[in-house]
Amino acid sequence: MDVLGIETTCDETAAAVVRMRPEGGGDILSNEISSQVAEHAAYGGVVPEIAARAHLEVIDRLIARALDAAGTTLRRLDAIAAAAGPGLVGGVIVGLTTAKALALAARKPFIAVNHLEAHALTARLTDGVNFPYLLLLVSGGHTQLVAVNGVGDYSRLGTTLDDAVGEAFDKVAKMLGLPYPGGPHVEREALKGNPTRFDLPRPMLGRPAADFSLSGLKTAVRIEAERVAPLTATDVGDLCASFQAAIIDLIVDRARAGLRAFRERKGHPEAFVVAGGVASNAAIRRAIARFAGEAGLRLVIPPPNLCTDNGAMIAWTGIERLRLGLIDDMTFAARPRWPLDTNAEPVQHGKA
Amino acid sequence: MQILAIDTALGAASACVLMQGQAEPVAGETLLMERGHAEALLPLVDRVMARVEGGFDALSRIAVTIGPGSFTGIRVGLSAARAIGLACAVPVVGVSVLASLAAPLFAENETSVAVAVVDARHGNIYFQPFAPGGRALSPPRLSSLRDAVRWIGAGPFRMAGPGARALAAEAQNFGLRADVVGALSAPEIAFVARLGLISDPETALPRPLYLKPPDARPQDDGRIARV
Ligand SMILES: Nc1ncnc2c1ncn2[C@@H]1O[C@H](COP(=O)(O)OP(=O)(O)OP(=O)(O)O)[C@@H](O)[C@H]1O
Repeated sequence: MDVLGIETTCDETAAAVVRMRPEGGGDILSNEISSQVAEHAAYGGVVPEIAARAHLEVIDRLIARALDAAGTTLRRLDAIAAAAGPGLVGGVIVGLTTAKALALAARKPFIAVNHLEAHALTARLTDGVNFPYLLLLVSGGHTQLVAVNGVGDYSRLGTTLDDAVGEAFDKVAKMLGLPYPGGPHVEREALKGNPTRFDLPRPMLGRPAADFSLSGLKTAVRIEAERVAPLTATDVGDLCASFQAAIIDLIVDRARAGLRAFRERKGHPEAFVVAGGVASNAAIRRAIARFAGEAGLRLVIPPPNLCTDNGAMIAWTGIERLRLGLIDDMTFAARPRWPLDTNAEPVQHGKA
Repeated sequence: MQILAIDTALGAASACVLMQGQAEPVAGETLLMERGHAEALLPLVDRVMARVEGGFDALSRIAVTIGPGSFTGIRVGLSAARAIGLACAVPVVGVSVLASLAAPLFAENETSVAVAVVDARHGNIYFQPFAPGGRALSPPRLSSLRDAVRWIGAGPFRMAGPGARALAAEAQNFGLRADVVGALSAPEIAFVARLGLISDPETALPRPLYLKPPDARPQDDGRIARV
């Protein structure tokens, strides 16, 4: 079973072809991506109209390249999948309309994919993980702990009440004058810094509910930075290291709360899966590995290129859904907001 | 040659299929709408193609309006057209919204200048004047109503498009003769197909004609001073 996946929800245009393996998991036959990071850099964040224009610019060529690289053609595919949200609606419409039109003209099933579900199921593509498992999704747009019970079956155990973790990295980087996106730069600066110099708060630490809150931490970084300004290179390194140390404590503590909530509902998880761009942070990975080891959890962190936005995860989710007969029709509308767990309470101002 | 034409740039979602050499489309459908083009377009194309013998395999070219118009609408049409072109391995040509609006006006035997006008919000319009016979008198432009009147000259004019009434009123204020005669909400889809048939795929590229840069300002605020 071969499926084409298209991703345009944020600032990467991506297309990939994935083949299901009979024994479980999948093979990525191609995985093309065109990043717009440079186009948004001057604005310190993703500008929706610039993103939508850039997606349209490259999408059909990128799909042609993904098909070529996979050594296949549209006719030989079993279905076409696209991320239909959550995300920036202008970009989503480009990918979604492209996928629908391809499916219509090539007479293939069309599958509308939830971008978050795609992140959640990536560990099944790469490692064939069984349900149910505990997922920590930490990206620029999302920070959640989720019980992944099955395809289309998720219970949110916790979420951020304000900023996402990646967003906090980006905002701290911005105030310190580091380039966008800030995560990797903060990590690099942190390597040179002293993580104990600034005593930063760890909001929510020890709370039973597995929620996150980051805006207080971000504000504390600002206050400390303004106090010692103008900043030397050492100050910047120390601020980054202290910030990252606080994030690590937070993530581990919240994961512990999430695991407790998971065990109450579902027993022992088959695995602890971490996804999203922040999972490429080496210090965070190490801390998570230590936690998983202590908790006796099988830890699965997909490789960095599958943790950030990509087409392969959309294609794989298409396979998972197609296998269950879950296909969509030509009227499917883009969903700027599309929670994984439709029963969970929406969080005001939160990045869900 | 048989062409599929698509338009979602203005106040309608439309598609039709036209066979070269025939006067009228084999099949077509137009739904007037201010929003919802993205959801409406592909079911509409599906219905139109169901009435075409041979379906998608019988197409040899796709035409799509490239703007100016709604940014999202432009992208819906272009995404769909380019994807169908990819799936059917046929060329896709881009057709200007302004040329499509003006085309029915210069199809008749007339001597006045035809002006296609699209509302660009905040008192501005996209417009383009055409000489009798169809030669463009300027590239597509974005300006205020007043500047547009200065630009188009002495008239008399016949105007079409969703900004036609406003521009005609402004022209009349300056004592010029301007009649609103063409389509008001969106191009007639058959004219998009006709223009598509005579376009050269090498030059009429299916690329958006936004005429306006994205609304965005670089932000440097909130940065803390460094040594
Ligand atoms: N090494 C790192 N350390 C910390 N954060 C990082 C690192 N690398 C990337 N990030 C952060 O990850 C985020 C990008 O991740 P990703 O591409 O998964 O998310 P997104 O597209 O912003 O959001 P989503 O997938 O939720 O729509 C950015 O906020 C970036 O700063």
